[in-house]
Amino acid sequence: MPATVRERNGEPKVLTTMAVIETEGLRKEYRRARRGKTVALDGLDLSVPEGGVFGFLGPNGAGKTTTIRCLLGLIRPSSGRCALLGSQRHVEIAGVIGRVGSIVETPALYPRFSGRRNLELLGRIAGIGRSRVAEVLHQVGLADRADDLVKTYSLGMRQRLGIGAALLKDPELLILDEPANGLDPAGIVEVRDLIRRLGGEGRTVFVSSHILSEVQQTADRVAILSRGRAVAAGPVDEVLSAGRVAGMIAKVDDMPAGLRALQEAGIRAEATDGLLHVELPPGEAAHVTRTLADRGLYLTELRPDAVDLETVFLELTAPPPGTEAASMRGADAAPTHGTET
Amino acid sequence: MSALLATEFLRFWSRRLVRVVAALVILGIVVAGVIVFATQSYDLASLPDVFLGTSFVFVILGWLFGASSVGAEWHAGTVTTLLTWEPRRTRVIVAKATAAVVSVFVLTVLLQLVLGGVLAVDAATQGSTAGTDGAWAAEAAAVGLRVALVSCIFAGVGFGIASIGRNTAAALGVGFGYIVIVENLVRGLRPAWAPWLLTENAGLFLIGDPADFPNLDRSVVEAGIYLAAVATLLLVAAAAQFRVRDVTV
Repeated sequence: MPATVRERNGEPKVLTTMAVIETEGLRKEYRRARRGKTVALDGLDLSVPEGGVFGFLGPNGAGKTTTIRCLLGLIRPSSGRCALLGSQRHVEIAGVIGRVGSIVETPALYPRFSGRRNLELLGRIAGIGRSRVAEVLHQVGLADRADDLVKTYSLGMRQRLGIGAALLKDPELLILDEPANGLDPAGIVEVRDLIRRLGGEGRTVFVSSHILSEVQQTADRVAILSRGRAVAAGPVDEVLSAGRVAGMIAKVDDMPAGLRALQEAGIRAEATDGLLHVELPPGEAAHVTRTLADRGLYLTELRPDAVDLETVFLELTAPPPGTEAASMRGADAAPTHGTET
Repeated sequence: MSALLATEFLRFWSRRLVRVVAALVILGIVVAGVIVFATQSYDLASLPDVFLGTSFVFVILGWLFGASSVGAEWHAGTVTTLLTWEPRRTRVIVAKATAAVVSVFVLTVLLQLVLGGVLAVDAATQGSTAGTDGAWAAEAAAVGLRVALVSCIFAGVGFGIASIGRNTAAALGVGFGYIVIVENLVRGLRPAWAPWLLTENAGLFLIGDPADFPNLDRSVVEAGIYLAAVATLLLVAAAAQFRVRDVTV
């Protein structure tokens, strides 16, 4: 069923409501002789619709990379299923891999080959010519260093080369695992712009990251992963507002009078830190404005009581109280549930 | 498959280890040629013996190149990158093994040609070429080809072990342990098992005379088939393991 039309390579592309990535009850356990069983994924359910940027968030060890490896057929799930562009089994992945560009963790490329040589070697497998390689090198800002050995590249340059390798196939679906890793602030902005642009072209960009501000700025939808399960998923705004009263922050010169006026009008509000916290959605700002103005009180400030993704993320991924991880969180300890692989 | 195979050949011949070691071997051959030229009158008729005498170098190099061609990929994590382009794992490992084994064969032949060429120059300028007739050429070519075949068989063995262990050092360590410890123990404690030792069969296949290996009780061709079967078995085991094992590097 057609849902949206976006431009890609100058051509209009009709997006459907088809899920390009789907997992259902996806579970992955690693059994190691000394450490016993580690549950990396614990029944993950995920559905990524076609088009736009999908942020895949989670702390270290939540299972983000394991999910990506399952999707790409690099590891086999212990149970459950996962599908990439409709393919479900390893043999079927071969049929769709030409439409998928990916980087998994730090891109692994041949350090003693040049950037150009690396991309040409990969491109040959899919019959991609040198002109496309040159185009991609330019696109990721490595044209000037294309003939230098990869071992002389900085981490950020390697990351950009990895993104270039993922883009080489001109894919419908891009899976990027922590693409901003190792990039300097300028590089992060470049990658953010690139991801936005690619998502706007009708491709689906699936970005795993723990840099929440980046995801908030680029993603249309997010899923938050904690201990191998999705604890929240949906459009960014919905995830941000889930489970909390949408509200506004208001400020007037006479705070007690303002609070009284709102309460007398039946609007729930409280005054803290010199601000009025109004329990009405931002869409009803006019009601607040009118109520106060009718009493001769004029607003000096009115804004949505915004919650950032970081707050939601930390709330949703916090370890259960009383666990070892919870007691260590204050010391920036990593969760102990899973192992990022 | 052909594009993947071509890419794997390109990767093999672009590897620094291959280029540096091949260059060092060529340098060694040239230096040896100069020493021979300066110190003795070389008789080219003994070239087949020279090929036999230097065969262990090529066999070890074959093992090293075979093992490192896949071990280095596991070490660098490039297997993951490759599988995101070609997820059919059997194709990937077959292409890699084929490229390694065939390349080792070609490289061994080329290095022996350089060796033969340098010694031919020595013999022509300050030695003897007497007896270098058609029969000699056929014998030299046969020995050279057998050396190349054993090198590529051991490249397959090294590749198989390195692929299973996902490590070049594992393959080199296993090889060293097997040849130095296992084979010597078998020779000392279970001499009746000698026909199943790799070095015994490799010796028979290289020398080409069953009379030198009476305890093996088999022909030269049978020894070659046995070696090839061992390598094939290891490669099949490596492919089977590669198909099902998680790739987490």
